[in-house]
Amino acid sequence: MAAQYRGTKTRGPDPAVTPPTAAAALTVAGSAGSGRPARPSGSGRAARFVPYLLLLPTLAATALLLGYPLVRNLLISFQTLEPFQLIQHTTEWNGFGNYTDQLTSSEFWHTAGRSVAFTLVNVVLIMVGGSLIGLLLNRLGKKMRLLLSIGLVFAWAMPYVAATTVYQWLFDTQNGVVNWGLNAVGWHSMHDYNWFSHQLSTFAVITLLVVWGSLPFVALNLFAGLTTVSAEIFEAARMDGAGAWRTFWQVVFPMLKPFFLSTTFLEIIWVFKAFTQVYALNAGGPEGLTETLPVYAYVEGFGNQHFGTGAAISMLTIVILAALMSYYFRVILKEEDEL
Amino acid sequence: MKRKLIGAIGVAGMMIGVAACGGSGGSDGKASGGDAGNTITVWLMSGSNPPNWTKQITAAYEKKYPGKKVKIAVQPWDGIQQKLTTALSESTPPDVIEVGNTQTPYYAQTGGLKALDSDKAALGASDWLPAMSKSAVFDGKQIAVPWYAASRVVIYNKKIWADAGITATPKTQDELFKDLGKIKAKGTKDAFYLPGQDWYAFDGLLLDAGADLVKKDGDTYKANLDTPQAAQAINLYKKLNSFGTAPKDKDEATPQQSDVFAKGDVGAFLGLGWEGAGALTKNPKLKDQIGYFPMPGKTADKTAAVFLGGSNLAISQGTKNPKGALNFLKLAMSDQFEGALAKEGGVVPNKAALNTNLQGNEFGTVSAAAAANGGTTPLIPEWGSVENAPNPITTLFMTGVLQGQSPSAAAQKADVEMDKRLSQK
Repeated sequence: MAAQYRGTKTRGPDPAVTPPTAAAALTVAGSAGSGRPARPSGSGRAARFVPYLLLLPTLAATALLLGYPLVRNLLISFQTLEPFQLIQHTTEWNGFGNYTDQLTSSEFWHTAGRSVAFTLVNVVLIMVGGSLIGLLLNRLGKKMRLLLSIGLVFAWAMPYVAATTVYQWLFDTQNGVVNWGLNAVGWHSMHDYNWFSHQLSTFAVITLLVVWGSLPFVALNLFAGLTTVSAEIFEAARMDGAGAWRTFWQVVFPMLKPFFLSTTFLEIIWVFKAFTQVYALNAGGPEGLTETLPVYAYVEGFGNQHFGTGAAISMLTIVILAALMSYYFRVILKEEDEL
Repeated sequence: MKRKLIGAIGVAGMMIGVAACGGSGGSDGKASGGDAGNTITVWLMSGSNPPNWTKQITAAYEKKYPGKKVKIAVQPWDGIQQKLTTALSESTPPDVIEVGNTQTPYYAQTGGLKALDSDKAALGASDWLPAMSKSAVFDGKQIAVPWYAASRVVIYNKKIWADAGITATPKTQDELFKDLGKIKAKGTKDAFYLPGQDWYAFDGLLLDAGADLVKKDGDTYKANLDTPQAAQAINLYKKLNSFGTAPKDKDEATPQQSDVFAKGDVGAFLGLGWEGAGALTKNPKLKDQIGYFPMPGKTADKTAAVFLGGSNLAISQGTKNPKGALNFLKLAMSDQFEGALAKEGGVVPNKAALNTNLQGNEFGTVSAAAAANGGTTPLIPEWGSVENAPNPITTLFMTGVLQGQSPSAAAQKADVEMDKRLSQK
């Protein structure tokens, strides 16, 4: 992440112009030695392997912690795996049975649609809110900036389950401070209102929780990005008579476009796979109406102990997420070709 | 730029992390691990083992079998099925486990429980109460042994009732509602505390209305909540819930209703003996203030039917200490310890002859009498799936009706989900 927009500084406002430091960046990125003047060939070959050697621990950890569970998950998704098979240690293959069951189930498609809508709403709110706070950080004086940064870091550092518990208390029917406050300011029907008994009100609380938890990431990163934009550029824009809105759209946004692109897509991933907050807040209730795909996979897989079904749902979740991410990958690969 | 490609791969890696949610069976059975030979692990459920009984049976076992040890681990009911499945699939499962009577067929069908036919005579099978031992038999095999039964009764705060001018406990449901009205009129916010998802309590009312949660349809079972009887039972439940501020979308353990009662400002709740005892431990000032009476029926001649909750003890199929496990089972099934459990825990023992132990235990006396009119959920393996969280009976039906849906509309939703689960093998 950080590396990406550090690059943009040197790149300047026009991305079409190849920055002079690109070669240096490539050197860092992995093909060390390729851009260097000739050297004795023996040490050159050794130098060529060093980057791969350095990558090895990360790759090994990824293979162990992500690759192995993923392969196991894939295998399980083609099995009938219920408590009987689990306890008896038997393997029962059922081909694409789990997949066809899901793909023909209206419950799955409802949940998928709900997940996508939930993700879009949250990502838009996070990006807009986070950008505004980031811009604010850039304008604030030293003390206020420190205060706001501390607040953001605390929100970011809060463990999910703890945050969820706090939100449960805030929105508690009888003892919650939110209902108390709404009642106190005159909205009396909110006294004893059960936020978790309706789909939309439950989603509203979940959204608030997820957005609140993710704003600091966007805000602090944007602020970090903005500090790399030299003050003269803003001054020049102001001299040319650009207002705040125009300065943002025509100066800041194009310069930090890679930041916005990668952050948006990271947020899509994070919101789409948000499990802890959604499940811990109300277990996908009421009546399963706030189940998103990861919660659905968990409820079917662990709650109902259909481990094969749960595995298939989680594989389908990856496919859907990959589809959502395809635009990002296209952009990345296109830029790769251009170089 | 290659670093972007690397970034993209990293992003792809994060996406794959999503799959970890639905992954393999997991292994969080921390408490397992019978020490190949000398220590046996016994899993008991929260509320089952009273403190003195636990101390005495551990001491007795370790004295009778020198060098051997018992490790008793108490498990919460919430999420127990997932935990038990995982534990039974491990190479060193707990040796002895307590299994709820309604969940026993489910585990029997997974093959995780050891058949005890050759030892059942030594365990006292000839004297077991038939109503209790039924749930411990599966496919003609003795898969577990009946440990105890218990039925819910009304646990009330004598002081609050006396302050409302009530001198005798109600004998009919009409009298009960009249009394609760008086208590509420006195300013007690929770004349009756009944959270919306105590489905065992609901099942009692349903049995009393003359229906069951499921009906037999040829060889299979079908959900049966969309009936006038279920509507009658849930309306009665709703009325009881309205005499307090208990949440409509939580069960009796969130928060523990005995903790709520312990605060001393709750008129009554439907509970088990250990809950009354728990309230007293939490608030010793309630001494001599806690009373018990059976849930009254529609008429004074008969108390309401109740859900006969209970537990069996079983030995895991994969136990590494079959001998130690059986020895523990024999001890727990002995008249001495079965009697001690009834006496201290106030639960119905597995032999009629041991009922004398209940003398002096107010809950036990009331509960054992009520148990005569008790029933259970159908003892079929598919039933275990219905109880898996989120339980459609509570989340779809009970909470649905309590939050304003018509019984029939909520029942239809719950029935669809129950049928789905009942048809899964």
